[in-house]
Amino acid sequence: MNFGKFIERLAQLIPVLLGVLVIVFSMMALTPGDPVDIMIGDQPISAEQEANLRHDMGLDLPPVERFVKFLGNAITGDFGLSFFHRRPVLDVIAERLPATIELSLFSLILALLTSIPLGVLAALKKNTIFDRVSTVVSLFGVSLPGFWFGILLLMLFAVHLQILPVSGRIDYAYEVDAVTHLLLIDSLIAGRLDTFANVLSHLFLPALTLGLPMAAILMRVTRTSMLEVMSQDYIVFAEAKGISRTSILIRHALKNALIPTVTVAALETGSLLGGNMIVESVFGWPGLGRLVVESIFVRNYPLVQAAVLFYAVTYVFLNFFADILYTVLNPRVKL
Amino acid sequence: MSESATYVAIEKVSPLRRNLKIFMTSKLSTVAASFVIVFVGMALFAPWIAPHDPNETDLFLRLQPPAWIEGGDISYLLGCDGLGRDILSRIIYGARISIFIGVAVIVVATSIGIIAGLAAGYLRGWVDITISRLVDILVSFPYLIFAIALIGMIGAGLQNIILVLVYKEWVVPCRVVRGETLAAREIEYVEAARALGGSSRHIMLREILPNILSPVIVVSTIRMAHVIILEASLSFLGLGVQPPTASWGSMVADGRAFMLGAWWVSTFPGLAILFLVLAINVTSQGLRDAFDPKFHD
Amino acid sequence: MTEPQPILSISNLQTRFATRYGLVTAVDGVSIDVMPGECVGVVGESGSGKSVTFASVMGLVKKPGWIDGGSITFEGRELVGMSDRDYKSLRGKDIAMTMQDALTALNPALTIGHQIMEVLLTHDDELTGSARHRKRGARDRAIEMMMLVGIPSPETRLNDYPHQFSGGMRQRIMIAIALACRPKLLIADEPTTALDVTIQAQVLELIAEIRQKLGMSVILITHDLGVVAEYCDRVAVMYAGQVIESGPTKLVIGHPSHPYTQGLLNSIPNLANLDKRIRPIEGQVPELINLSPGCRFIGRCDVHESACAQQVEMQNIGQGRAVRCVLPRRNKQ
Repeated sequence: MNFGKFIERLAQLIPVLLGVLVIVFSMMALTPGDPVDIMIGDQPISAEQEANLRHDMGLDLPPVERFVKFLGNAITGDFGLSFFHRRPVLDVIAERLPATIELSLFSLILALLTSIPLGVLAALKKNTIFDRVSTVVSLFGVSLPGFWFGILLLMLFAVHLQILPVSGRIDYAYEVDAVTHLLLIDSLIAGRLDTFANVLSHLFLPALTLGLPMAAILMRVTRTSMLEVMSQDYIVFAEAKGISRTSILIRHALKNALIPTVTVAALETGSLLGGNMIVESVFGWPGLGRLVVESIFVRNYPLVQAAVLFYAVTYVFLNFFADILYTVLNPRVKL
Repeated sequence: MSESATYVAIEKVSPLRRNLKIFMTSKLSTVAASFVIVFVGMALFAPWIAPHDPNETDLFLRLQPPAWIEGGDISYLLGCDGLGRDILSRIIYGARISIFIGVAVIVVATSIGIIAGLAAGYLRGWVDITISRLVDILVSFPYLIFAIALIGMIGAGLQNIILVLVYKEWVVPCRVVRGETLAAREIEYVEAARALGGSSRHIMLREILPNILSPVIVVSTIRMAHVIILEASLSFLGLGVQPPTASWGSMVADGRAFMLGAWWVSTFPGLAILFLVLAINVTSQGLRDAFDPKFHD
Repeated sequence: MTEPQPILSISNLQTRFATRYGLVTAVDGVSIDVMPGECVGVVGESGSGKSVTFASVMGLVKKPGWIDGGSITFEGRELVGMSDRDYKSLRGKDIAMTMQDALTALNPALTIGHQIMEVLLTHDDELTGSARHRKRGARDRAIEMMMLVGIPSPETRLNDYPHQFSGGMRQRIMIAIALACRPKLLIADEPTTALDVTIQAQVLELIAEIRQKLGMSVILITHDLGVVAEYCDRVAVMYAGQVIESGPTKLVIGHPSHPYTQGLLNSIPNLANLDKRIRPIEGQVPELINLSPGCRFIGRCDVHESACAQQVEMQNIGQGRAVRCVLPRRNKQ
């Protein structure tokens, strides 16, 4: 792949990122109510301290200068203090981030592992009972409200059957050295299979809830793509060469059929970011999503602002990644 | 073969009516569409259908089970919630919220989207550049996060939800319309109209608009399902319509405290969401198949 | 002396399709013999059943189609009803096929080197040894084939993708793949239709050259009578699922017997005689559903007899020719 072109494409992101920054900044600036008053709340504070706080937050500057200050801070990672936690915002976010990443990654993998084989099978057995059932299931998957499904799962497995935990990432009894901060991996590194099993049991229901809509979409995409590929001339030609059905499936068909699946997966991962908020709230998952929701309720705006910025930037890069991925997988499309 | 399909661009036979007829031939789609209409009816005629006042609390009826379980009562068919309110009535009234918000957001967003898309696609130039840039930036925010943040800023409530959802939603029809307009402006009848000296606005409205309506309708129905789930999600988090108004989402949230005992408090409102959204999705699938010339036989 | 046996013998083949409009008989009693080393042309319009006939030979007729009757023997072996496993060892090895559009026939996601080597590695009796050894052998052979079909700098181009080649090159690649295992029979389905005229000649010359070198039998499916006249020893003309005339090319084209064949020849513009009017055949190909038993050319033919409305069989008219007509022509073109 042409490195120059890659840089060029990357550069095209800059105006979008700039726009994102402007919007996030405006959201903050246009919030009704005085942010300083909200932050202080009922605490006794002298007029001088208040003035200092205002100055630190740049609230005494004209809007454009405020934006530039904001920009500068954003790039260096200074998002101010989270009054609520009495720590820098960035620290708080960084602390909760791994939980969200682990949940999202696990959901993504779960979704891919189920949707791809099911989609391929549905295409191969087109119009059979299997196909029709999977169509129905996939329709349900997109129509289910995630928060409700999560609650149902909790009611069934955690509350009534009591075979899976109700909330959290890991039981108090277990502890693991943090290497990657991804508990599944860390427990494997430490060789603690019991911890691994425990983390897995916590991860399962939230990942199922988060990953279901995505799996439903990916299954449809895979099925459609597979059907299209199997009707292509090059499949017939491969058969005319005497190649076995399995080889055709694996080497000829899948390589082409999975391109849309993978690209859609990359794009949909962005919506996982949003879904996180719901799922983390339902399952009491200590991640960034739940943090944002909580912060909104306590009016912890600096944190909300930073989180939104983080999500938006991640999303932009995810979409960019999806574009690049597509050009890599499809030899006909150039960067 | 449907020969008329090739003539649509030139003869302007009303594609809408023809497509609706084709839609009706699918049993599944028609059933689904009827379901949607039932829900709409439920919403419209709520005061006459609902057995009780949705906001009337009665602590004696607190957490009463549904009629078919011991301790239930047929007049409170689906049981009562934590404050003794009839769940069935609340679900019926809740349909008003979901459908009203769904329709309002889609109607407003689509209108804005059509105008913006037409302008961008037809006029091109700086109009197109500005609008497209705006769309790109807005699209960069994951939906829910943007909505939650905005609600956090301006507060919750019915009006604000609609505002917030419209803010993000208009980009979808805008993109569709822009794409279709870009394609349509090259077609002969537009050139002919231009040659005859029609004004830009006239051309946009009279010539292009009727023919791009089909894809817009299909997309809008699909999006309506999304919007309804979004509203429910926001209400679930407490960022939607505020109590005592019954929104299906907040009803599910109410039931969280009673997961062990009164499972019905969360289950039934969620089922309502599921069925409505399912019906809309199947309907929109049918619409998509009906409006897609490839499927015409 | 024993009579030479045909390498491929299609006898009274019936292939049908169950469609929602009814039962379509795409191939209705087709019989074609191909002698070893011979080049047989199969001519017909779209819908004449020529492609389906040879899809049947390759065993590639899929639902909702099936072979309903008749026999296909290859080197004396019956192909109809043969198991898929046995078929797989024949395809690509003894019988090879090329398709009309090389762009869609080649997998866009695989390099052409992979696609050539694939057929070699599948039918692997020539390659021996460890996996790596076999792969290297296949690679060498692939390069050999590419040189044979005239693709420049084969070593580097092995790793290129189909879309990086021109139309003519892609057709040559398809031929390289088809011939990689030195098949005894090559079925070339419209090898020149998608190509420019100058490239057409190159590709056909290539096939003729290789045919001579390997002593291969070739079936050339085409709608282009000019191609047939130039390269084929014998020709079979198909119409609406049946063979309506067959014989040595020179005789069939020089003195066409069936009115349809004559009509086809009249439809070709004659560069030598620009004043001569082109006479297209009036009417259209009949629907292949619910066909009446008689001659299918009725209605487009300028003569008609009561016998035409009944089942018309192929009759031998001498000199190795046969025609399915009650009133075969004897006059010059």
